Amino acid sequence: MATRLRPVDVVTIGVGLTGSLMALELAKTGLKVVGLERGAPRYTVPDFQSPAIHDELRFSIRKAMMQDNVREAVTFRNASDETALPIRRWESFLPGTGLGGAFVHWNGQSFRFQVADFIYKTHIEQRYGKKILDPDLTIQDWGVTYDELEPHYDRFEYLCGVSGKAGNIKGALQPGGNPFEAPRARGYPTPPMKEPYFGALFRTGAESLGYHPYPQPSANLSQPYTNPEGLSLQQCVFCGFCERYACEHFAKASPQTVILPALLKNPNFELRSNCQVLRIDLDGTGKKATGVTYADATGREFEQPADLVLITAFPLNNVRMLLLSGIGKPYDPKSGEGVVGRNYCYQTTGGATVFMDERINVNPFMASGANGTMIDDFGGDNFDHGSLGFIGGQYVGAIMTGGRPIEFHPTPPGTPKWGLRWKEAVARHYNHTVLVQQHGTSTASRLNYLDLDPTYKDAWGLPLLRMTFDFPENDIRMSQHIADKVVEIGRAMGGKTVIRGGTKRPYTTTVYQSTHNAGGAIMGADPKTSVVNRYLQCWDVPNVFSVGASAFPQNGTYNYSVTIGALTYWALDAIKNRYLKAPGPLVDA
Amino acid sequence: MSRGRIIRDTLAAVTIVNIGVIWVAQAAANSPTRPPDLAKGAVIAAQGLPPSVPPCAQCHAYNGASDGSGAFPRIAGQSAFYLAKELRDYASRVRTNAVMTPIAKALSSGGIADVTAYYASVKAPYLPLASPDAMLIERGGQLAKIGDARKDLQACDSCHGPGGAGEPPAIPYLAGQYEHYIALQLTMWKRGLRNNSPDAMADVAKRLDAQDIAAVAAYFQQVDASAPAATQPMK
Repeated sequence: MATRLRPVDVVTIGVGLTGSLMALELAKTGLKVVGLERGAPRYTVPDFQSPAIHDELRFSIRKAMMQDNVREAVTFRNASDETALPIRRWESFLPGTGLGGAFVHWNGQSFRFQVADFIYKTHIEQRYGKKILDPDLTIQDWGVTYDELEPHYDRFEYLCGVSGKAGNIKGALQPGGNPFEAPRARGYPTPPMKEPYFGALFRTGAESLGYHPYPQPSANLSQPYTNPEGLSLQQCVFCGFCERYACEHFAKASPQTVILPALLKNPNFELRSNCQVLRIDLDGTGKKATGVTYADATGREFEQPADLVLITAFPLNNVRMLLLSGIGKPYDPKSGEGVVGRNYCYQTTGGATVFMDERINVNPFMASGANGTMIDDFGGDNFDHGSLGFIGGQYVGAIMTGGRPIEFHPTPPGTPKWGLRWKEAVARHYNHTVLVQQHGTSTASRLNYLDLDPTYKDAWGLPLLRMTFDFPENDIRMSQHIADKVVEIGRAMGGKTVIRGGTKRPYTTTVYQSTHNAGGAIMGADPKTSVVNRYLQCWDVPNVFSVGASAFPQNGTYNYSVTIGALTYWALDAIKNRYLKAPGPLVDA
Repeated sequence: MSRGRIIRDTLAAVTIVNIGVIWVAQAAANSPTRPPDLAKGAVIAAQGLPPSVPPCAQCHAYNGASDGSGAFPRIAGQSAFYLAKELRDYASRVRTNAVMTPIAKALSSGGIADVTAYYASVKAPYLPLASPDAMLIERGGQLAKIGDARKDLQACDSCHGPGGAGEPPAIPYLAGQYEHYIALQLTMWKRGLRNNSPDAMADVAKRLDAQDIAAVAAYFQQVDASAPAATQPMK
C-alpha cells in the first residue's frame, strides 16, 4: 500500500535536461516542485573528477552512466512479425540515468533545426509533390514553427553559453558560418572552438569541392562564460572525454553546470533521487492526473499528489510512462489508429574512415565532443531532391571526439582482427586517420513504433518498452547517396584509403549509432495523429505535459539537445503565461 | 641530414601532397634542424654561454633540484617541451621575469633545445625540507585530488595528472615542486601578472583564496614523485 504524501503543485518525472529546466522556471514562480529522479545524485565535484572520470572501461565500455538494464531494459525487434528480446547491453543508443540525465554524458553538439524541419510535410509536398513520399512514410508538421521557437532557441543557447560562428543573423549571411543555418536573432554567446588539425584537413578538402565548411557549434566552451542564471562555465581543455563521460572542468553545459546550482538553492524545489516513478495516477474520469506513484530505493511505494505532472524522462521512457499510465490511445500498426508509440524515429548515421599519409599527425586524443568542422550542403532539404527519389539529408563533418585507447583502433580493410598484424596496423594508423561522419534525418514510418512488451517485465513487475524499428528504405537511399559524396571529400582531404560509409538494413542494436531516440509521443495540431498539442500538453489529460524529443514527429538532420531545450522553454512559456492562470487545455481538441 | 636535403624534401612534399603544406610549415617552425644534444645542454647548465648566459646551475643546480628556497623552481625531469615553451615565453616577454628574460633571449633555439633536453633527462633527489602544517597539507590534498564544490573548482590533478605527476609534454609536474614557487605563480595568475599559459590557470587561480593557495603549495611540495604511491588516486 502506497504511503500518501502531502500534495505539491508540480512533480517532474526525471531530473535531467527537461526536468531540471522545467523545475527551475516553475519554482521561480512560487510553485512547490518535487523532482523525482530514478538515479543517484551526482555533482561535478566530487563525482566527476579525474582520474576516476577518465575510466574508459567503466564509462565507455560498461556504460556506468546509463540506465540499469538489469532492472529496466528495452526489448527490440526489426519488424512486427518478429519476437522482441531485451537489450541486455546498451550499444546502439545510450539512455542516461542519474541526476542530470543524458545531458551529463552528451557531447555538446549544439545545433538548431532548420525552418523546413518544423513544417516538414507541408514543405516537402509543396516542393516535390506527394509522389516523392514512399507510402509507408508518416511525416508530419510539428504544430510549432521555427519563428515561434527562435527566441527559445536563443534563450537556451545563452543558458548553455554555446560556442559557435553564426551563419545567418536575421537573414544576413555571415562569412565563416553555416550559410544553410536558420536565421537567428544574434550571434552565439561565445566564439567557436579552435579548429583541430583533422578539422583543417576536412575544411581544405570540402572547400576544394565547393562546399561550405563551418565550425561545429559546441556546448564545451571556447572561453569562460557566465549565464543569465549567474552560473559560470570554464574553458574546455580538449581532454577527449565528453560523450559517455561527465566534464570535470565545468566546461560542458549540463544540468550540473548551468541549471542545478540555481535550482537546488530554490526553497520551492525538492529533489528526491533514487525514486522510480511507476505510474501517473488518474482520477475516475481518466481525464485528470492526481499525481504519481513511485518506489524509493528500498522499494517502499509513495503516492505524491500534484496538480501538474511533467514527464521529463529520456524520450523512450516518456512514451513508456504514458503507456503504463493509460494516457492516450496506444498506436496500432495494423489499423494505423492510436497515437502513443507512433512515429518512433532514430537518426541515420554512418560515415567514412579516411586513412592519411603517415606524415599527417592527427593527434585525435586532443579533442572535445563538439569540435568538428562540417558542411550542411547535404543537410535536410538543402539540396534538390527532385530527381533523387528520397527526402532528407545528413550533415557531413570531421568530428572526432577523442582517440581513447580502448575504443579507437582504425585499421584498413584486410587487417586481421587480432594479433601482431592487427597491433602493427593500429600503431601505423592510430595517429593518421580521420573519421568523417554522416548524421541525418530519420523519416517516420508506419512500421516503426513503440509499445509495451507482452512478455518481459522490469524489476518492479511492469512491462518493458518494446521497440519495433528498421531504417525506412527512403533513409537508406538518402544515406547511400551522401556516402558517395563523402568518399569524394575523403579523397580531396588527401586520404590514401577512404572506406565508404552509408547505412544498410537491418538496423542493429549492437553497434553504437546515436542516442537521439525520438518520437513516440509526438506533438501536432490534430489529436488523431499526435499525443501532445503544440505546447507539449497531453490532449487526453491536460494537466500532464510530456516534454522532450519524444514530441518530435520525425527526426531532423542534427543532434537534437538544443532543440529539446528550445521546446522546453516554449512549453514553459505557455505553462507560465497561460496554463497556470487557467488550468485546462491550451488548444481545443 | 643536410640543409639542402631538407629543402629538397620539403619542396617535394609540397609538390606531391598539397595537403601537407601546413604540416611541413609547422614542423619547420617547431623542431630544431638537429636532434637536441644532451652533452651540449649539460655544458650550458654547468658553464652558461659567456658573457650573456650565466650557468643555469647557479640557481637551478646542475641536477635541476634548485636550492629548496622556492625562489627558483625545481626543473629536474620537467618536460622539455614545457621548459622550452617557458624559455621562449620569457624571451618574447609573454612571461615576464627580469632575470630569465635576458638569459632566454640570449639562447639560440638550438641552445634552448639542448638545455631543456638535458634538464628533462636529469633525475634529482628531493631535498629534505621542513614539512608544513599537517592540516594545511590535508586541505591542499583535497583541492588537488577532489577540488571544491563550493567554488566550482576542479581538482588540480584533473590536468596535472595523478599526484601532480604532470601530463607531458604540455602540462608540468607539480609533485615535489617548491611551496613558495607554486604559491607565487598562483598569486601571479590570480592578479593577472602571469599570462603565458592556457587560460584555464588564470580562471582557476581566481577561485583560490590565499589560504587555498598556501594549502595546495604546501601539499604538492611534500609529494614525493619517486614513491610509487604518490600517483595513486584518492579512494
